Amino acid sequence: MEALDLARAQFAVTTSLHFLFVVLTLGLAPLVALMQTRAVITGREIHERMTRFWGQIYVINYGLGIFTGLVQEFQFGLHWSGLAHYAGDVFGAPLAIETLGAFFLESTFLGLWIFGWHRLPKWAHLACIWIVTLTAYASAFWIMVANSFLQNPVGSELRGGKLVIVDFGALVTNPNLGMALGHTVGAGLWTASFVMIGVCAYHFIKRTAEQEFFLRSMRLAVWTGFLASLVTVGFGYAQFGVLGDTQPGKTDGVEGYLANMMTLGNLLTVISFLILPPLLIRGWIARRRILLGLLILCVPLPFIASILGWLVREIGRQPWLVYNKLTVADGVAHVSTASVTFSFIAFTTVLGLLALADYALIIRAARRGPGDVPLGARGGPGTSASAGTPALTL
Amino acid sequence: MELLWLAIFAILLIGYFALEGFTIGVGLTLPWRPKAERGEHITAIAPFVLAGEVWLVGLAGVLFGAFPRLEEPVITENHTVVVLLVLSWVLRDAGLWFRARADWIVWRRGCETLLTVGSVGLALSWGTLVSALIHGSVTALAVLYAGIIMALFALHGMRFAAWRLRGGKAGALAVSAIAAAVPAIVLIAGFAGTLLDNTADGGALTAMAWILGPIIPVMAFAQWWVWRTFSKPSDIPSFF
Repeated sequence: MEALDLARAQFAVTTSLHFLFVVLTLGLAPLVALMQTRAVITGREIHERMTRFWGQIYVINYGLGIFTGLVQEFQFGLHWSGLAHYAGDVFGAPLAIETLGAFFLESTFLGLWIFGWHRLPKWAHLACIWIVTLTAYASAFWIMVANSFLQNPVGSELRGGKLVIVDFGALVTNPNLGMALGHTVGAGLWTASFVMIGVCAYHFIKRTAEQEFFLRSMRLAVWTGFLASLVTVGFGYAQFGVLGDTQPGKTDGVEGYLANMMTLGNLLTVISFLILPPLLIRGWIARRRILLGLLILCVPLPFIASILGWLVREIGRQPWLVYNKLTVADGVAHVSTASVTFSFIAFTTVLGLLALADYALIIRAARRGPGDVPLGARGGPGTSASAGTPALTL
Repeated sequence: MELLWLAIFAILLIGYFALEGFTIGVGLTLPWRPKAERGEHITAIAPFVLAGEVWLVGLAGVLFGAFPRLEEPVITENHTVVVLLVLSWVLRDAGLWFRARADWIVWRRGCETLLTVGSVGLALSWGTLVSALIHGSVTALAVLYAGIIMALFALHGMRFAAWRLRGGKAGALAVSAIAAAVPAIVLIAGFAGTLLDNTADGGALTAMAWILGPIIPVMAFAQWWVWRTFSKPSDIPSFF
């Protein structure tokens, strides 16, 4: 393979890995914030336990979002300096705003939330998770502003061989932005719904001691999925109109990905919209063991659908890096094939292994249940991670 | 407007060296501490890592947004060093993030090794990158720069541990923070002209300034709040 193919492959692999973790972060953050809000208002223990258990899964998942995100940020400079030369004066602005105006705050307040349990006043600690949620969505907004510019380079004109901003308002009102952002937000909530449902299903099948805990969690997850299916599918179809105007023929080369994504979307909609809500009546869902087993098997599906969606959006843009302006061949940096091979193998191996380890840790925390959650533990015997629990039971 | 973005770039670079220097320093001196003390040291830096490393995330964003034509000379032309820097950073973070998620002894030691290897890698690759930027290419001098940066970070880490765990003086920590930031100050002093000559188009600089202006006080408040909250040790179990 040549440097260009390798650089593209690396971008595809690291971006896909990044989004697998980001999509769950986006969905879980508001749900954990909601749980903690109820905990603070009612003062009831069940809500604090829910916040800590689901919050811990959220935090473990978050780690890989950071690791893959760091690689993501630097690979623009490593492999796509042609893009920086030609469009950095436009494309760079939303990226810089994202890192400083959104992620800087998200990361700082996440640290305050993770380590601030029982140290910060309750309301201040609650404010931290809401700021983390808000800034996570601000991040999603600015990244989608940047991506939408690549799809449909509005608000800019060519001066002296480079694109410059002439109308910043046009960048943030890009027709390719709004529907895609709504679609992404819906996908995040929908993914979180399926993950929570899968974990609850496991505890119902195993008949663990936490039936009330998981029945409450299941109700939240099912109603979240019910709403998210409407949002995701609605904004998904709405994008076809925009594409007809700005990127006609975009889906011609990617029908396979698109068809598979829509088939998955339809299946998930049937589950979230039709099957699950009625089964909440009198807790019927907790006793349908075959259905529960199938629901665990469904957990990977929204992740697969999310990646297929991105493949449609990004491969459909080819051969353009900036649509109708700059090709990927002109945007790639002048780096030797050996160098790109080295970085591709190194990043893919390290991030791939860390992703597997992270999923193992999430599964471990999920199986242990809310009885042993280090996040937000107060100390003393029986509450910390090392309190007589067996070693690494996966 | 160009001066404003030079100032933001300088503050982020200096802030990164001063505020991440000690977490890297604690990571790279970990093998020289008794096994029983390692957990305590990791617990001490844990609440500061997310708030410290984010200065470099911001710096890389500003490099792209405010100085897009420097992406190539800074990052592309130092490809291998930057790949190693980012890899080291990822491994350091993974060691921290994963260590306390299982209590299996081999797991914990393995994660501590990742933390140390990542921290050493960060100090080495920063030394190499700084020398390559100053001298135009990687030469034997890289060893010297790497050694200096490693020593500065290690000193800063030791001062931090003394302050946080054994009631050491905050003044001594401030001095080691300034020392750790010396490489950043040298870079800014040497490249201020290059940065000013390579700013992005005025439209981008103005748009970014208007949007980020109101957020900068919140960023400063969040950093201050982290230091206020976590400056005192506590017996609440740490998540890392």
